[in-house]
Amino acid sequence: MGKYSEDPKWSDIDPLPTDEGGPNPLAAIAYAEDYEETMSYLRAVMAANELSPRVLELTEDLIDMNPAHYTVWLYRSKCLFHLHSDLHEELEWLNETALQHQKNYQIWHHRLTIVDALGEECDVQGEQEFVARMFEKDAKNYHVWSYRQWLVKRFQLWEKGELEFTEKMLEEDVRNNSAWNHRWYVVNGREAEGVKGVTDPEIREREIKYAEAAIAKAPQNQSPWNYVRGIRKASGTELAALKPLAERYASVERPGTVRSSFALDLLVDILSEESGGKQQAGKALDLLATTYDPIRKNYWAYRKSQLGLGSIETAATA
Amino acid sequence: MSLAAGPGRGHVAVGQLPEELKLVVDKHVAYIQSLDTRKDELEYHLTEHLRIGGIYWGLTALHLLGHPDALPREGLIDYVLSCLCESGGFGAAPGHDAHILYTGYSVQILTMIDGFGALEERLPDCKQKIARFVASHQQPDGTFAGDEWGEIDTRFLFSALYTLSLLGYLPHQRPSEPPLINLPAATAYIKACQNFDGAFGVSPGAESHSGQVFTCVGALYIAGELDSYLGEEGKDRLGAWLSERQLPSGGLNGRPEKLVDVCYSWWVMSSMAMIGRLHWIDKAKLTAFILQCQDPDEGGMADRPGDMVDVFHTVFGVAGLSLLGYPGLVEVDPAYCMPRHITAQISK
Ligand SMILES: [Zn+2]
Repeated sequence: MGKYSEDPKWSDIDPLPTDEGGPNPLAAIAYAEDYEETMSYLRAVMAANELSPRVLELTEDLIDMNPAHYTVWLYRSKCLFHLHSDLHEELEWLNETALQHQKNYQIWHHRLTIVDALGEECDVQGEQEFVARMFEKDAKNYHVWSYRQWLVKRFQLWEKGELEFTEKMLEEDVRNNSAWNHRWYVVNGREAEGVKGVTDPEIREREIKYAEAAIAKAPQNQSPWNYVRGIRKASGTELAALKPLAERYASVERPGTVRSSFALDLLVDILSEESGGKQQAGKALDLLATTYDPIRKNYWAYRKSQLGLGSIETAATA
Repeated sequence: MSLAAGPGRGHVAVGQLPEELKLVVDKHVAYIQSLDTRKDELEYHLTEHLRIGGIYWGLTALHLLGHPDALPREGLIDYVLSCLCESGGFGAAPGHDAHILYTGYSVQILTMIDGFGALEERLPDCKQKIARFVASHQQPDGTFAGDEWGEIDTRFLFSALYTLSLLGYLPHQRPSEPPLINLPAATAYIKACQNFDGAFGVSPGAESHSGQVFTCVGALYIAGELDSYLGEEGKDRLGAWLSERQLPSGGLNGRPEKLVDVCYSWWVMSSMAMIGRLHWIDKAKLTAFILQCQDPDEGGMADRPGDMVDVFHTVFGVAGLSLLGYPGLVEVDPAYCMPRHITAQISK
C-alpha cells in the first residue's frame, strides 16, 4: 500500500499506471513502487487537467525523487501560474532543490520562468547571491553560468557588480574558463546595442592588463591567452602589439626557457607576419611538436606546411 | 532500454598492456541486449524520461559494431510507435509529452530499422506530420523550443534540422514547395553562438563547450552552410580549439581545464571530421584511451577508466572508434551519428 492510495486527500483519484508493458519484452516495466505510485497519480491528474494545490505537493514529491523528468516541471509551472501561487515561496523551495541536485538543468529553466514572471518584483541581488552560492559547490556549472548571463541581460546588471564578480571568481581559480567567458560577456555583451567593449581603447587596455596579470600568475593557462587573442580579433588591432607579452614566456633562441606553450603558439603567429620571421616561426613550431605540445604534433605540422616550410624537425629539443 | 549505470566498470584486464587492447565486440553486443532485462532497478525508472534516447544509443552502437539485428525489430517498432503523440511528435516513453529531442531519436530509430512503413499504417502521411510537428516549434528568432514549455537550446535546433533532413523536409530538399521552416533564421542564430575563441556555446555569449560545438557545426553542416560560413580560417581556428581538448592521457575534454570523458571523444571528433580537421588528433592515444574505458569482461563503456559503464558512453565510445578507423567497425556519419551507408540514402 502506498502513501497516496492510503491518503484520504487522494481517494477521489484513480491512479493511472504506466501503459508501458504488455507482451512486448522490450517495453515491459517494473517500477520501483513509491515512484511508480506517485507517477500514477500525476498521470491521473494530468489526464483530468487538474491544477490545484495538491498537485503542487505531488509534483514537489516527484521532483524530489527525480528532478530530471521534464514533464513534471512543465506541469508544475502550469499549475503555479494557474493558481497565482506565491512565486517568492517557489524560489525559496527552488533554492534547496537546486543545491541538492546540482547537475539538473530543468531547475534552471524553471527558475528563469519564475524570475521572469516576477519581473521588477524580483529581488535581483538575492538572485546574484544565490548563484554565487551555487558556484561555491561547482564554480564551472554550465547551467548556472547560462542563468547568470540571462540575469545580467534581463535586469541590465552590466555595471552592477558583475565585473567585480568575475574578478572574485578568478581570484579563487584563475583557470576557471567559465569566469573568463562571463567577463567577456559582461565587457562586450552590448556591442550590438552600441555600448562599446574592447573596441574602446581604454577598455581594451584595461582588459589586456587584466589578462596579463592572470598570465603572470599561471603562464600555462589557456583561458587568458584566448582572451587576449579574442580582444585583438574583436578590435582589429595589430598582433605585433602582443609580442612583448609572448616573449616574456617563450623564446625560440633559448628553447629551454619556454614557460608557456600558448606563448610559443602566439609567437608563431607574430613571427610569421614579420618579414624574415618565417624560419623562426618554423623553429617554434618544431619545439611545440616535439617538446611543448607533442600530442598535437599533426596540428603543428599543418601550421608549418601553411607557412610553406617543410615537415617538423625532430632534432629541435629544449 | 535501461540507462542504469553498470554493472561493470571500465578497466584494463590484468596483465594487459595498452597496445594489446582490443574492442570486445561480442561483449558490447551482449551488454546492450541485456539492458532491457534490468527493469527491477530504481535507476531504470528514474531514467524513463530518456528511454527512447537509450534505445537510439543502443541501436546505433549495435549497427556500428556490425550487429544491426541484435535487438528484435518488431519490439523496437512497437515501442517507438507507443511513444507517438497525437501532435505527430514523440515522447521519451509512452504517456510522455512530445518533445523535439525524442522525436529526433524516434526518427533516427525508424530510419535505421526501415520502420516508416509500419508507422504509415498508424499515421497516414506520417513523414509530413512529423515534419510539421518539428517545424511548429520554430520561434521567430530562428531557434527551436523543445516542447510547449519553450526552453531554447541549440541541441533542439540541431535535432530539428537533422530530423527534417532524415524525413526529406528541409527547404532545399523540396525546392518546389513552400518551406516548412525559416532555415536562414536558424543558421543566423547558430552563427551568433560563436565565441571569441572560435568555438560555440549554448546561446549567444555562453561559454564554448564541445557538446554545443557538435550541435552548431552539425546544424550548419546539414543546412549546407558550414563551408561558406567558417571558411578555411574559421575551420583552422575552431579546429585548433577542438584539438586543444586532447590531454596527455589521450582522452578529450569538453572545455578548458575540465576532465576527459569518452562522450567528448565523439563530440570533438565528429566536429573535427565535419570541418576536415580530424587528422589533428593523436589517433593512437585516443584509441587507447577509449579502449581503457570498456569493461572487457561484461561489456559496455564508461566515461573514463574506473567508472561505471552505461549505454550513452558505449555508443559514443564505439562511434568515436569508428571515426578513428578502428578495424571491423561500420563507418559512422559524423553529423547524424548513424551508419554512413544509411544516411547516404537520404537526398541531402
Ligand atoms: Zn560523458
